Amino acid sequence: MGWLFTIIAILAICLFYFYPMIQAFILSFQSGAGANLTYTGFDNYARLFNDPSFIAAITNTFTFLIVQVPIMIVLAMVFSVLLNDATLKFKGFFRTAIFLPCVTSLVAYSVIFKYLFATDGMVNKFLMNLHLLQEPIQWLTDPFWAKVTIIMAITWRWTGYNMIFYLSALQNIDRSIYESAKMDGASSIQQFFKITVPLLKPIILFTSITSTIGTLQIFDEVMNITQGGPGNATLSISQYIYNLSFKYTPDFGYAATVSYVVVILIVVLSIIQFKVAGDDK
Amino acid sequence: MKKKLLFLFTAMFILILAACSSSDDSSGDTDGGEDTGKEAASTDKITVWAWDPNFNIAALDLAKEAYTGDVEVEVIENAQDDIIQKLNTGLSSGTTKGMPNIVLIEDYRAQSFLQAYPDSFVPISDYFNPDDFADYKVATTSLDGEQYGLPFDSGVAGLYVRTDYLEEAGYTVEDVTNITWKEYIEVAKAVKKATGKSMLTLDPNDLAQLRMMIQTAGSWYLDEDGSTPHLANNEALKEAFEIYKELMESDTVKVVSDWSQFVGAFNSGEVASVPTGNWITPSVKASADQSGKWAVVPPPKLSIDGAVNASNLGGSSWYVLNVDGKEAAAEFLADTFGSNTEFYQNLVTEIGAIGTYKPAAEGDAYNAADEFFGGQKIISDFSEWTKEIPGVNYGMHTYAIEDILIAEMQNYLNGKDLDQVLKDAQTQAEAQVK
Repeated sequence: MGWLFTIIAILAICLFYFYPMIQAFILSFQSGAGANLTYTGFDNYARLFNDPSFIAAITNTFTFLIVQVPIMIVLAMVFSVLLNDATLKFKGFFRTAIFLPCVTSLVAYSVIFKYLFATDGMVNKFLMNLHLLQEPIQWLTDPFWAKVTIIMAITWRWTGYNMIFYLSALQNIDRSIYESAKMDGASSIQQFFKITVPLLKPIILFTSITSTIGTLQIFDEVMNITQGGPGNATLSISQYIYNLSFKYTPDFGYAATVSYVVVILIVVLSIIQFKVAGDDK
Repeated sequence: MKKKLLFLFTAMFILILAACSSSDDSSGDTDGGEDTGKEAASTDKITVWAWDPNFNIAALDLAKEAYTGDVEVEVIENAQDDIIQKLNTGLSSGTTKGMPNIVLIEDYRAQSFLQAYPDSFVPISDYFNPDDFADYKVATTSLDGEQYGLPFDSGVAGLYVRTDYLEEAGYTVEDVTNITWKEYIEVAKAVKKATGKSMLTLDPNDLAQLRMMIQTAGSWYLDEDGSTPHLANNEALKEAFEIYKELMESDTVKVVSDWSQFVGAFNSGEVASVPTGNWITPSVKASADQSGKWAVVPPPKLSIDGAVNASNLGGSSWYVLNVDGKEAAAEFLADTFGSNTEFYQNLVTEIGAIGTYKPAAEGDAYNAADEFFGGQKIISDFSEWTKEIPGVNYGMHTYAIEDILIAEMQNYLNGKDLDQVLKDAQTQAEAQVK
């Protein structure tokens, strides 16, 4: 009888999650402009390998992933340990300051970053006034610096969010462990690496998986800050899906194929991360 | 400690609230869409989607005033990207619920919509005379001999120049009238030397200049069939690439990355010229202190045979969707944008929108002198140039191919061989648009 209560939820999930997923999978074997879709078998999947835009999108997304996720995880951990220090003054202020970016809208902060990092924007003006730069850096129109800008933007936006998980995990670590370590003469660096990091392992795993998934789906920042440019230098997979569906003559079939690639990537990466970090199952 | 925890919870609570409220917003939007759908079903009211309150929506409001019929017209403002998304998702799902009666579509995208969603748009040849409109505009708004779009604004291009900067560099307006791009680069270098100002802005993510250049030679990214990519061995495109690189390397370009920087550059007097569509006029005139310092001349052309000093950039047209109320919608369009000469004069004087309706060019407003441009009759000039624009079939894939070219342009600027660049672009385009 009790199962009856879950029926509504199960039906809703099937209807709004699994049915569209299956439809999208079927769609990924079709191709054509707009409403003129025909079945093309595995053509879409073969096309992926010869599509330079897709390859660029994958490369960029992985660049963001490999560079940004570790930086952010380490930063989040360092901040949380600093903020967890019992002797720290104005803790509330610092926590708020670091967490606050998380409550801003993705589009709003992207637009602000775009203006900050414009060629004659505040960042360049600031660096030039300090005489750190002779020439303004082309933050948005140079392929290398555009990637750097995106990485800085997402790090700013998401570090505080991940820090919250570490902070809450740190509160659960028994203080007596640190006290006994101190008595045994362990330095604070040793304490960090020998006590804090191992005890935070489940949270490290959790945050790196959610961050990986988030970065693989990155869209708002690229769309608003660089529009994928210059060239394809910051094009992300999600933005490519958007382009295929809405910017170009729509090919929803091929767009569905690309989105299934994201699904496969997330599954594979999550399995790898579980294998590497989480043992004792 | 407890206080800190409390704070954390409050912060998280705010986050959750924020998430909830944003989803509320979006559901509110869809509700709105459905409402308009229900209203569109009755024929005494028609809905129109357009995107610019200062331009095409303002034009619709004028049209409502000028309209003599008794159908109520509701104008709904959406961002252009949103209109494209809503049309694509709506039309591909096969439901017409929530669709407007009339929608404004950019000319570069028109063929894509007409061909991707057959039977979703209504031919409106019976309601007005397509011959009354500029030829190039008719070509982009019709499919298989049927007229689907009613032309709205002309994207006729011009070269806006700062006469005071030119003078400083020893040039007159005549010296830059009807020139080639190669000559333009020479002027650019002289201006930079004399005034220290850049000649123009370029956005590496937007090849509008390239489109404008190749249309002077009657060429496009695609063959005349509107679907076969024509990039390798495209002489016009090749020269346009060369000019683009030469410009970039001549130190006369201010690189921008979005629209507001583009407008900001000429408003603040940082560039000496703006080669673009006539729709930029209101933005140029926004800097009242520059009155009298500007002139408009025909756009530079490519130096290959058959190129003319006339081109087009952007422009859009009205389309009637195949939903209840289509007759009323077509009649509304035909009665205003399709035949009302008086209405076109108001469009020019009140909004600055230049149509492509040929009979309108005789009116007073078209022949008025503009003090901002030193008394030049710019509207009349633009209408003259409109007649010269080489007609090309924009086809279905303008933006797909342009993204390929944007990436290849970066390779070319970094030293890749041009023939190879265009050949690679061709291969990619063929894979993309098959």
